[in-house]
Amino acid sequence: MRFIFQMARREIRSAWRRLLFFFLCIGIGVGSIVALRSTIQNLNIAVAGEARQLLTADVQIDTGRPWSADTIRTIDRIARPPRVEARVETVEAATMVRPAEAAHEGAMMIELKGIEPPFPLFGALTLASGDRFDYSLLADDGAVVAPLLLERLRLNMGDRIKIGERVFTIRGTLGSEPGGGGFRLGPRVFIERAALERAGLTEFGSRARRRILLRVQAGAAESLARELRAALKNSFVNVRTYKDSQESLSEQFSRAENYLSLAGLVVLVLGGIGIASVTRVFIEQKKKTIAILKCLGGTGRRITGVYLAQIIALGLAGSVLGIALAKLALLVTEKYFSASLPPAMTYALQPGAVAQGIGLGLLISVLFSALPLLRIRHIKPNMLLRDETSEGRGWTDILRWATGGLALLGLLLLVSWQAGSLRVGFFFLAGLAITAGGLYLAARLLIFIVRRARHISSFPLRQAINNLYRPGNQTTVIVMGVGLGAFLVIAVQTLQSNLIREFDRTRGGGLPNMFLIDIQPDQEAGVKELIEKATGERPVLVPTVRARIAAVNGREMGADQGEMRRERGRLGREFVVTYRPHLESNETIIAGQFWDPTPSSEAEVSIEEGLRGAAGLDLGSTITFDILGRRLTARVTSIRRVDWRNSRTGFMILFRPGVLESAPQTLIGAINGPTGALEKSRFQRALLDQYPNISVIDVEEIVRVFEKIVNNVTLAVSFIGGFVFLSGALILIGSIAMTKFQRIYEAAILKTLGARRKVLLAILFAEYGLLGTAAGLVGSMAAAGLSYAVARFVLNIPWSLTPAHYLAGIAATALLVTAVGALSSLDVISRKPLAVLRSQ
Amino acid sequence: MIELSKVSKIVPSGSESLTILHALDLTIPAGQFVSVVGPSGSGKSTLLGLIAGLDAPTAGEIRIDGQTITGMDEDRLAALRGAKIGFVFQSFHLIPSLTALENVLIPMEIANRPDASVRARRLLDDVDLSARAHHYPSQLSGGERQRVAIARAFANAPSILLADEPTGNLDSRNGRHVFDLMVAMNRKHGTTLVLVTHDHELASRADRLIALKDGRVISDSGQAPQQMSAEETAVGAARP
Repeated sequence: MRFIFQMARREIRSAWRRLLFFFLCIGIGVGSIVALRSTIQNLNIAVAGEARQLLTADVQIDTGRPWSADTIRTIDRIARPPRVEARVETVEAATMVRPAEAAHEGAMMIELKGIEPPFPLFGALTLASGDRFDYSLLADDGAVVAPLLLERLRLNMGDRIKIGERVFTIRGTLGSEPGGGGFRLGPRVFIERAALERAGLTEFGSRARRRILLRVQAGAAESLARELRAALKNSFVNVRTYKDSQESLSEQFSRAENYLSLAGLVVLVLGGIGIASVTRVFIEQKKKTIAILKCLGGTGRRITGVYLAQIIALGLAGSVLGIALAKLALLVTEKYFSASLPPAMTYALQPGAVAQGIGLGLLISVLFSALPLLRIRHIKPNMLLRDETSEGRGWTDILRWATGGLALLGLLLLVSWQAGSLRVGFFFLAGLAITAGGLYLAARLLIFIVRRARHISSFPLRQAINNLYRPGNQTTVIVMGVGLGAFLVIAVQTLQSNLIREFDRTRGGGLPNMFLIDIQPDQEAGVKELIEKATGERPVLVPTVRARIAAVNGREMGADQGEMRRERGRLGREFVVTYRPHLESNETIIAGQFWDPTPSSEAEVSIEEGLRGAAGLDLGSTITFDILGRRLTARVTSIRRVDWRNSRTGFMILFRPGVLESAPQTLIGAINGPTGALEKSRFQRALLDQYPNISVIDVEEIVRVFEKIVNNVTLAVSFIGGFVFLSGALILIGSIAMTKFQRIYEAAILKTLGARRKVLLAILFAEYGLLGTAAGLVGSMAAAGLSYAVARFVLNIPWSLTPAHYLAGIAATALLVTAVGALSSLDVISRKPLAVLRSQ
Repeated sequence: MIELSKVSKIVPSGSESLTILHALDLTIPAGQFVSVVGPSGSGKSTLLGLIAGLDAPTAGEIRIDGQTITGMDEDRLAALRGAKIGFVFQSFHLIPSLTALENVLIPMEIANRPDASVRARRLLDDVDLSARAHHYPSQLSGGERQRVAIARAFANAPSILLADEPTGNLDSRNGRHVFDLMVAMNRKHGTTLVLVTHDHELASRADRLIALKDGRVISDSGQAPQQMSAEETAVGAARP
């Protein structure tokens, strides 16, 4: 062992510069994994630790309907002191707000919340000034609003706003609220709960969500929730504890952590491919040393031990570097992104993530260098006497196959460990292998084609092509590594452009730019007239009824076991349904027969194909609906396909006219309203002044949110793609460093034969230009394939080739590779030939 | 003692096979200094490689100190070399990433010798290179490199020293110095020395001179003359 350590130490001393790249490959991979895992674990600790504040309660009971007297009685009976220490009720509704002064323009959607003391039961409500919120601010129709509202409607403190039919005075701007965050349709406005009820916004048709929040004795939350759930089983009420939200949050976080770590693992595996290629060249260069050691009495096993010890030492050092990089990344996150992260979040390295990082760094180092290290066995000491190369047995070498198999198995276990699932691990590895294999084949093909051109007359170009084939060349590995990085970046960019263009197309296709909701039936004529006056076209208002599915084929959704419980996600929500005698142009029947236009007292429904199969739902099934407490059973007589992209409105469930007309309903309308910001706000204002209960959803606002999300996702994936690209560049630098001795020797011979530095430089640029172009081409082809598949089969949007993206991608890759390659080889040209030739 | 009986070496050459050594019988007693001479391609280096176990014979048997090495696996051969055989090459074959001292240390570290460090310094002192102990091969002259190689060859006090044209890459002054040193150390340690050389003057200083041609022994001063050709007579005449 002493010999192994001594020798490994001495070898690293002389070879560390050449192996620096090895070290960086591991460092960057480990760094990205440790940083990602630590950040998400820190986020999880911060958020899950605040679960009570997120829910603002130990136990929350909520419903989308007004509380029935029965439900309240049941809650009163079960949720009593001393088990329940405090109880408070809130109401939330998305609605419209406008300045009270007629001369003051503008209107916008807000997320209104009516509260009463002692809300919040957990956490604190603060004002933008930093002061604590006080209920006196809300007394006598006071409101506390988010700063965005003041900015958008150009309002100030003390100004008055109209919500529904009531006027409120702005008395404070909101700083932070417990449980804040997440997707919102508009800025938050707080008023008193009683004032919200008085504003006429909780009447029929509104989508107000009511919550009863409880603070309970320590340890009582779970049992209380169980009792409440049992007693409120069929009353469309949800009961959850802070622990439920904590658990579901933790689950989501650990899933996100595992998936993101896989992205880090791509970087690490690519680093591994680099390691395999470096080790191969390294062993090739150390052949003589190995032969000498064998000649001096070293056995194959001990010499392999010497090189394995070097690999482990470098893997360990690379992992430590990775941890330092991760710490740096966390510091950067804290400095630049802490404003958008929870205040309680820390930015420490998590010990579990660090341990995983070191383990992964070491394992990847060993797994990927195992096969190249086996070549040591075949190096014969006899090569010191005569210059002959001894090759291994190749295809028939059982040890080689066994080692390869073990390395693959190890990698599968590693990936599965990171993904937290053997299945995901398998698919990830298979996907990676297919991608890498495809890139490899494409690289081979391209190089084969380039080789055909080696008889061209330009000497530098011909020489550059020959260089791509020099013995021990790393051409394929470089094209594959850099190509993989280019592939990810280009694929994401083209997908983004396809997605955004598709969205633009949808917007430009005469589709509505505004949705009006909550129109009462008696307002229909007035609203139509107003819209016609403003837009010149008479709108179609569609009656809607809100219904829940109570049973399918006689089986109750409330049942706590089996299939019905599993299907609650798909069928358990509230459906907005309509009735009409005809199909819309974007609907087609795929099963059954659509009804006659005549009304029928027999209830019939047509369901969207997505619902088929849920809880056994199919043609001929019966669905029992609960419409505000009234039950109605209907038969499924047809199944529709809806082209959602060309829809002004679309419904999952459609009724035959004849039964819903008498049910309580509201109307909705999709309109092509005014487009300019000023005209739009004037129109909304005019509508709201007359019909304050109506809400207007501005499609452009939603598109803006959507574009922001797409851009953020693109940025995040491009960032990871950038890391992969960096790994590819490292493989390039590494392979240049490893084969430099050969280049220097060749350059010396060419100089001796009369080649000027300009010619050598031209060869250099041509070689890396070719390599970069090949990598860019390979990456682009793969990117086109991936973006086509994702667009067509995942996103269901038409795909189009965007040549600019691909050309830019190829050019950027070629430029980068040329720059990196030429810069790391410049000293090849500056060396004096005599010294080089003498040393050979 | 080195014993070869009916040892031959045939290698494939294109579609045919090339006989480098014809069935060869040879016995070298312990302590003897033997020179092997012959033109290029006569099989000298192959013979040396076979004795060192660096290569396996196509047929025949080789015994070192009574132990048959033919058929031994790579690892046992390596261990045998570490314990019994020292080797000096024409092109030195020092490990470029190690200093002179470390190059001498290697065989002893492989053999786990506890006194490696002290002994390595003494050996370097013997070849007059103490002052250059921490220099790398690239910082040494050809003669100095070969002296390090000699010190390394004697590291584990081998019973056999094999030298393949040790002066071939040196000028005559350095060559003579290295040769004298090797012979002196050989005498001092009482090892068997097999020296392959082109230099008849150096060869003639051996106890015994073997001449090879086309893979056959054409003369051996240690045995009764067999068939003497004109050339062999010339070789024989070169002896003092």
